[in-house]
Amino acid sequence: MTLYRRAAWAAGLLVAACVVFLLADYLVAAARAPREAGLVKSLQEQVKADASLAPRLAAEQKRITEARIGRKLRDRWLAWALIVAAGAFLACAKRAITARQPLAPARGSVPSRDRQGAVSRPINEPPPLDLSFVDTAIALHGRGRESAIPLLQAMQTHYRYLPDEALRRICELTDVTPAQIAGTSSFYAQFRRSPVGKHVVRVCHGTACHVSGARQITEELRRYLAIPEGADTDPSRTFTVDEVACLGCCSLAPVLMVDGHTAGRLTPATARNALEPFEQRETA
Amino acid sequence: MNTVRAAILVLFAASCGPVALAQAIDYQRPVQTAPQQDTIGGGYKTPPVQKPLPRDAWLQLLDVTLLGLVTGGAVWLVLERRSRKALGWLSLGSLAYFGFYREGCICPIGSIQNVAVALTDPRYSIPMVATAVFFIPLVVALFFGRAFCGGVCAIGAIQDLVVLKPIQTPRRLDRVLGLLKYVYLGLAIVFAVRPALGRDFVICRFDPFVGFFRLSGAPHMLILGGAFLVVGMFVGRPYCRYLCPYGVLLNWCTRLARRGVTITPDKELDCGLCTGSCPFGAIDKMRAVRRECLYCARCYKACPVPVGRTPRSARVPLDPQVGARS
Repeated sequence: MTLYRRAAWAAGLLVAACVVFLLADYLVAAARAPREAGLVKSLQEQVKADASLAPRLAAEQKRITEARIGRKLRDRWLAWALIVAAGAFLACAKRAITARQPLAPARGSVPSRDRQGAVSRPINEPPPLDLSFVDTAIALHGRGRESAIPLLQAMQTHYRYLPDEALRRICELTDVTPAQIAGTSSFYAQFRRSPVGKHVVRVCHGTACHVSGARQITEELRRYLAIPEGADTDPSRTFTVDEVACLGCCSLAPVLMVDGHTAGRLTPATARNALEPFEQRETA
Repeated sequence: MNTVRAAILVLFAASCGPVALAQAIDYQRPVQTAPQQDTIGGGYKTPPVQKPLPRDAWLQLLDVTLLGLVTGGAVWLVLERRSRKALGWLSLGSLAYFGFYREGCICPIGSIQNVAVALTDPRYSIPMVATAVFFIPLVVALFFGRAFCGGVCAIGAIQDLVVLKPIQTPRRLDRVLGLLKYVYLGLAIVFAVRPALGRDFVICRFDPFVGFFRLSGAPHMLILGGAFLVVGMFVGRPYCRYLCPYGVLLNWCTRLARRGVTITPDKELDCGLCTGSCPFGAIDKMRAVRRECLYCARCYKACPVPVGRTPRSARVPLDPQVGARS
């Protein structure tokens, strides 16, 4: 973008220079014209009295004509230069105006982050689960089939998703069957079976957001966060990108929410700015 | 509607009558206004050519044919292909031919005066080109709208090129400034139909852009033209919208148009993306105002609905960035 901007400035300056030169040329010629006309006129008068001055008149007239032809030629070249420069200015300025911010490289590939996260485990591995909460929850909600939903809700609230180990432990310790868990947890939207990121990004896919490019914004966020195909959370488990039906603020379309914070009128290039405050909080 | 259109076509044909009669006056008739060799005497010989010779007949025919073809092409590109890019190239070609090569003459805007004179002065010989150039865009506008403005007009094309960061002018201001063109049309006709010696073609004399096409001109007109172009970077096509006298006639004809620009061909989404994309304020309450639409097809480019034969033009302009996956 800066390249186009610089080129536009250069072309614009060239245009200005051409205009100034053409104007100056015109003004100088216009100022000289009456003096030259007067000179020729007085010479013509003198020639009438003294014929020996005729060659001087002819020379003077020739000089003036040549100067005029020269100016015309010069101005014609300048005019073409002006047209070309104006064309270049417009082309570059249009590019510079419409060019959006360059897209950030995918986040996972930033080396500084790798150095900061000096943790021994690979970032894809979830931290080891503390299953003691399962026992507490079972003690609280009971062991019958009817306590399946309260138990799952407790798991969801505590772990923010339903870890397989915890579910397996519930099946071991209570009357709840794996089939029941599978059915219930896949039916309700409140349960998640895969780990969730620290922050949940809800990208609105309502009608207004859809027509103003919600899909493109989702795609760009997924690319930026390096979320693999089929998953919804980035490898460092910072952000989970969700598509939701409508956030109710269509006038801000396209819109997204990070936890409780709304960001609107996004473009693919600016969408990641909405994540920035949360990223900083996370790295700090 | 159809009958009104038919009536106007008949009117056009009828007004072609006197114009065609004027055509019959031979251009190469003896000169009467200037002193001739008999009156001068003293063995003086008048030069063989006392009037500028007209362009070759086949070149004149080429001009008219090109005008017709390009107008038709603009209709096709906008209504069928729905392609902004192709239309841009077409208008660039028109700018090169009708603007820089033909030096902005003859153009339909100026031909208003020729036709006005031909209709009032029986001794005026109007060139066939002027008649054709005056009527072709109007007849096209009767059916399809102002295709001439978007694809053919060199004055429009040069202003369309400089549209850089257009602001949305308030509608009320648009309407008030738009009255200027009616005044200008009236003045142009009044000055044109005066008796031969007092006749003045003001549209041509105060054409702000013709100096650029000819690479020379009166300094004040060049400066005015430059000012129009600089303003035109932020206010889309100011001459066309506020001053063009031919725009008045096109506006009237377009009211009867059978087909015109539809931003989406079948169903409007009412998302409003097109309104922001129109630099000329020709989209009111999310609908195209055909009589003001200058056929630039920018709204097609901004429309997210994939329609028509070129889905590419209908894509949301954000697409290329998403395509650049790393």
